[in-house]
Amino acid sequence: MEAAPPESAAPITPVLVAEHLERKLPGDPPVTLVTDIDLAIEPGKFTAIVGPSGCGKSSLLYLLGLIDRPTDGRLLLEGRDMMPLSGDERAQIRLRHFGFVFQFHFLLPEFTALDNVMMPIRRLGRLSLPGARERASDLLTSMGLGDKLHKPPDHLSGGERQRVAIARAMANNPLLVLGDEPTGNLDSTNSARVVELFRELAHEQGRAVVCVTHDPGIAEVADIRVSMLDGRICEVLRQT
Amino acid sequence: MFPRLGLLLHIAAMHLLVRRRQTLVATSGVAVGVGFFLAVSALMVGSQTDFVKTLIAAAPHIIISDELRSPSPQPGVREYGKTGAVELHGYKVRNEVRGIKDWQQILREIDAMPGAIGSPSLSGAVTLRQGGRDEPLGVVGIDPTIETRVSTISEKLRAGRLIDLERVQGGVIIGEDLAERLGLGMGDIVAATSARGVSRSLRIVGLFKKGQSGLGSGTGYMLLREAQSLLGRPFVINRLGVKLPDPYTADAVAKQLEARHGYKAESWQERSADFLGLLLTRNVIMYTVVSAILLVASFGIYTAVSNSVTDKRRDIAIMRSMGFSQGDLQFVFVVEGMALAVAGVIAGWLFGFALMTVLGSLEFPIQGEVRHLPLDRSTRQYLIAAAASLFAGIFAAWLPARKTALVDPVDILRGAV
Repeated sequence: MEAAPPESAAPITPVLVAEHLERKLPGDPPVTLVTDIDLAIEPGKFTAIVGPSGCGKSSLLYLLGLIDRPTDGRLLLEGRDMMPLSGDERAQIRLRHFGFVFQFHFLLPEFTALDNVMMPIRRLGRLSLPGARERASDLLTSMGLGDKLHKPPDHLSGGERQRVAIARAMANNPLLVLGDEPTGNLDSTNSARVVELFRELAHEQGRAVVCVTHDPGIAEVADIRVSMLDGRICEVLRQT
Repeated sequence: MFPRLGLLLHIAAMHLLVRRRQTLVATSGVAVGVGFFLAVSALMVGSQTDFVKTLIAAAPHIIISDELRSPSPQPGVREYGKTGAVELHGYKVRNEVRGIKDWQQILREIDAMPGAIGSPSLSGAVTLRQGGRDEPLGVVGIDPTIETRVSTISEKLRAGRLIDLERVQGGVIIGEDLAERLGLGMGDIVAATSARGVSRSLRIVGLFKKGQSGLGSGTGYMLLREAQSLLGRPFVINRLGVKLPDPYTADAVAKQLEARHGYKAESWQERSADFLGLLLTRNVIMYTVVSAILLVASFGIYTAVSNSVTDKRRDIAIMRSMGFSQGDLQFVFVVEGMALAVAGVIAGWLFGFALMTVLGSLEFPIQGEVRHLPLDRSTRQYLIAAAASLFAGIFAAWLPARKTALVDPVDILRGAV
């Protein structure tokens, strides 16, 4: 918490800090996915990670999202070292503080839009069942899906599914929202809508939003643009 | 904790509902297994109970006979046996009168035991002569009032009553097939001669049914004191039957009686050791076969859960990324197996009940009597079948459920569909 970056005009405490992160795949020789990553993710900012295919940007996102484990380096969430945590403790952190949006909507096909959004809320167990239903339904309504609550994913359009997925990512009110090519499968209208939603999450709700993307539209509107090449960060650009 | 459990059960239920056909197949597999388990074990246990009951009822629980397990020492041995080498000349082996002599005292002792009844009898061979035909008859002298209390003889009578022996001088009860061979009927008189040369006229006061085990066609019942006089063995008996309130104590009581009095006392277990050994083998065979049925039924659960895990790899990865623990996901799939097992057990109970009803309604005419299959319908069988199936089902689900741990979310989320 105390590690406030002094160079910034308004001192913002980063929510997630990566120090010398490295991820290698075992083998002979080992394949390096990402290496020497130092990065601070700030709340209220929309961070885009860009770079050519295979540069390691998705791998970095999975490391930042505690889905994958680094082979070296440290990761601090609100100053707390994430490295010594067990698998189940990491799962609990993901549940509580992280929301993921993937290129494919990844909704569970047997469940309605409402049930899908309720799932992380019920798993966390802080709200009663009616409470969870109300929160999920509010989230979906705020994304313009109020009339689609009880539809299963295959009765929704691509854009609608992705908005349900974003609502699910928001379900437990996370500190961080992580997107892996969230607009990769959408047409331009829907893409623009999703980008707009992400900007709102950062600027109006003060969350840290991190998106891995190829989409120049996202890269342009992001507050911070992180460029990667060959598993390393080559440029961090603050845009105004 | 509670909303989480509800959620996991909800997910498991949805998985099962989506794969209805597989759910149905796995459930009916268990149901068939449980159903046949119930039917087979009901038959086996039922027939065993029935058989043991017949075995116990066929004869007294303990038979004290006039035999000695070791020969009684001769007077010469008693006199000189311990002192060393002795030569005797003109020594005559002493022949004791065969029979239980102090039987009155043994009988009093038995009757003093709560619930126990002793029935003295004397048996020997006589020859029946009728119209130039000779037929051997093994005659048993009994006390009718005691005998009706200790044995099922009265049920085996086609005509007459056991108590008639008391009322008719020289009354005898013989098998109906022997009577047929001699051309005799109720109330007829037949001449009997014993090995001792005693001759009597006997009057037929009762007839046994044909084909009764333990009661050959050449057995006849008489009053004890008439048999004693016919056989020329007054006052003695050669068999003392004992009926106990609990047949399963027979072994211990027999040992006690034999130790006290020296006469050979044989319990029904000792007499039927070969049968009881067979029953044991039979039970081992039955439980092996029936467990195999249940085991095969649980293969269906294994397949269903294993397919479910494979199909749901993507969903598993998504839920892992969302923050579900590995334990959560294993639990979901174990619950699926358990649900299949529970549904199968309940359906199997109904199926087994139906099978037993059908089997129980079958009629088999044996010797002019309608018989039903002996079935043991105790809840114990139902509980054993349920416990075994649930255990097998949970185990069969747990094996593939462990595979959820092998699902690497990174691989799947990256390269997904």
